[in-house]
Amino acid sequence: MRTTFLAFTGLVLALSASACVTVKPQQRAILADPTMVFDDDAHAQAQREHAFSNREGAYGGSGVAGGGCGCN
Amino acid sequence: MQLATRARLVGLGVAIGSIVPAAEARAQAVTVDTTHSLYTEAPTKTHMTVYSPGADLAVQPFDWLQVNGGWEADVVSGASVAVKAGGAYAANHPGPDVVSTASVHDFRNQAHGGFTLKNGNVQVTGGYAYSEEHDYRSNAFNVAARTDLFQHDTQLEIDYARNFDHVCDRVQSAASPTPLWFALESSEGCFTSNPLRVSLPIAIDGFQGSWSQAWTPVFVTQLVYTGQILNGFQSDPYRSVVLADGVKAQEHVPDNRAREALALRTNWFLKPVKAAVRVGVRAYTDSWNIRSGDVTAEFEKYFGDSFRATLRGRIYKQTGAVFWSDDYTGGAPPLGPRGQYWTGDRELSPFTSYAVGLRAIYSVTPTNGRIAGFISGLRFGGTADLIQFDYSQFTLAGIPLANTRAWIFGLNASISFF
Repeated sequence: MRTTFLAFTGLVLALSASACVTVKPQQRAILADPTMVFDDDAHAQAQREHAFSNREGAYGGSGVAGGGCGCN
Repeated sequence: MQLATRARLVGLGVAIGSIVPAAEARAQAVTVDTTHSLYTEAPTKTHMTVYSPGADLAVQPFDWLQVNGGWEADVVSGASVAVKAGGAYAANHPGPDVVSTASVHDFRNQAHGGFTLKNGNVQVTGGYAYSEEHDYRSNAFNVAARTDLFQHDTQLEIDYARNFDHVCDRVQSAASPTPLWFALESSEGCFTSNPLRVSLPIAIDGFQGSWSQAWTPVFVTQLVYTGQILNGFQSDPYRSVVLADGVKAQEHVPDNRAREALALRTNWFLKPVKAAVRVGVRAYTDSWNIRSGDVTAEFEKYFGDSFRATLRGRIYKQTGAVFWSDDYTGGAPPLGPRGQYWTGDRELSPFTSYAVGLRAIYSVTPTNGRIAGFISGLRFGGTADLIQFDYSQFTLAGIPLANTRAWIFGLNASISFF
């Protein structure tokens, strides 16, 4: 897990540094649209993912916080 | 009992996610959300219905501070497998069905609260959630930090969460080996001084790092790494598994589990048709040797300025846990388990699932003034998803599961004031 984390961090830093500014502030209108925002409608999305994750072996990719089992 | 804060992201993680848009729209001083979902399925011998209501309140008294709190619940009723046997055992023991089920009724309540501090391009979030079920209690803390770089084109975020949870079990005889342990009969007496009940700890550490990047005015990506380490009792205390002739034992899985997932999501806006295409892939692995991958695709289109509809699909495939078997008999006599661990959880077996769904959202954001003088925004949403599971090995005494379809319905509303 530690190796993966270090690799991921390095990748993020390298790619984000190379990205720099690609979209100017006056071009951001569409990026602010709800259809382009990650985790828009977050509560509903979380309930849906709750249902999926309770019936799958997998976990992760969209958040780490939470509490309880609720896994019937 | 499938532990895991799992994707139980609900609580504070959700609140954190919802903070960002509210914080950026500074006219929204107060936002109230309510969300309701219904999950229902009825495969062979069992059935399950889960109604999950929730309500959240976010208040932003200052530009640099937002506080939020909320409640959610799971109202569970149905019937689940209480004694699991495999095909080999059933073939050698014709007669009465060894597989039995038990009714399930539970009511999980969770209260959560948190705050976000913002200074320039940096924001820090903290939160706490308390959750209580008849047989499970959870205290969850989380912190997160996010920064925007390169005129907001790049966002980096790190999250850490720690759960101090407890699960109820029956007291087992100290002299008994695990193949002779009995399953918990009911949650009666849990978390009391009942001498026949014991509270077992579960510690969960979760870490996440994410990188969101705007590449063009219509294309963004998000890369997310998640790690989680669980330590404690992770079996379903109510379920028994047939291990040998006349021997059934409480499900027994390892106390430790390390999980990792790497997800990439992309959003692409198609100006000519005023629609967005979203594609996501995720790879997952854990120390129980479950490997999985899933692909999600969504197409969301505007119809007018206020209404938009989404068509979405998802394919998920996983391998089984290293200790998974549909039949644990046939090991060393007299108890016969094949291996040190045994489970009757179909989510630890290899399977594939397919999901299709629809979502509709109607939102109103007045450009001039307020609705009724104080409402700055309204939003209503509805969803419906159908999931088809295809279990390649899981059976109930040799009988493959039929009718493995599940439905998820959702309704949500949000209103912003001032």
